[in-house]
Amino acid sequence: MKSVVTTVIAAADAAGRFPSTSDLESVQGSIQRSAARLEAAEKLAANLDNVAKEAYDACIKKYSYLNNAGEANSTDTYKAKCARDIKHYMRLIQYCLVVGGTGPLDEWGISGQREVYRALGLPTAPYVEALSFARNRGCAPRDMSPQALSEYNTLLDYAINSLS
Amino acid sequence: MLDAFSKAVVAADASTSVVGDIGKLKQFVAEGNRRLDAVNAIASNASCMVSDAVAGMICENQGLIQAGGNCYPNRRMAACLRDGEIILRYVSYALLAGDASVLDDRCLNGLKETYAALGVPTTSTVRAVQIMKAQAAAHIADNPSEARAGAKLRKMGTPVVNDRCASLVAEASSYFDRVIAALS
Repeated sequence: MKSVVTTVIAAADAAGRFPSTSDLESVQGSIQRSAARLEAAEKLAANLDNVAKEAYDACIKKYSYLNNAGEANSTDTYKAKCARDIKHYMRLIQYCLVVGGTGPLDEWGISGQREVYRALGLPTAPYVEALSFARNRGCAPRDMSPQALSEYNTLLDYAINSLS
Repeated sequence: MLDAFSKAVVAADASTSVVGDIGKLKQFVAEGNRRLDAVNAIASNASCMVSDAVAGMICENQGLIQAGGNCYPNRRMAACLRDGEIILRYVSYALLAGDASVLDDRCLNGLKETYAALGVPTTSTVRAVQIMKAQAAAHIADNPSEARAGAKLRKMGTPVVNDRCASLVAEASSYFDRVIAALS
């Protein structure tokens, strides 16, 4: 899993040297910037279910045709799966906040995403709507500090871009 | 390769739950500078640590530098010093990452079998690693006493506080123990 620390170690190992002063400085820089993302991760973890539920409700409200017979949100099983998918994205975003990079989203969310949705015949627009709702719902300083919110929004944007 | 953060993520993903124990990671961040001091203490003293460890190992077993010993011609002695440095280097990476995966994957995996195939005596290797473990503990704690060091007393001058990085000494020791366990 890529992070600042593992990148630094991989580079030092490739050169066969001990961690140098500049290696340690770049790790220190990443550590100093980590307070905001850890705050966002902590608050998102505490409210993940609610955030995901609101985002799911918002996208079904906008794309209400999904409730029609035969559509992706028509039965209870489908509804549960849709809600679960949104929750998966929010969980991966939380992982990215913890790691401090887009590794978890890239490896576990985006890789193969297009192929899966095409095979299952799922529209991506509702996912975009759900994540956009979460993007606009977050509010500083009510939910988290401005720095933390900006880290969180950056990752939501990243996920939205991957879907659109 | 994992670090303290990605290890938490991989563990949480195994149960499809969010990373709940943020407090531990915050502590990792809060102690970050001390960790970097500890890595620096090892990296800056590496060549001294390695040569002392190998010298100590040979001191206790003179047979190693006699004809037929595993450190006998300079070529094999050099290989021995190089291996000591490699092991110490991966321990310093593990300490920097706060996770042993880099040490396991890139250094210890297959090391015992390689040494067995090359006829390297692992008891001697383990002894050298034990000496490096003691040295690392001393360098990280950076608290030499007048009584032992005498005129050679020298401090790195890292701004550590009173607990003298006890947790980092323990963590570094655990990585050396991992090397010893992998070899024996």
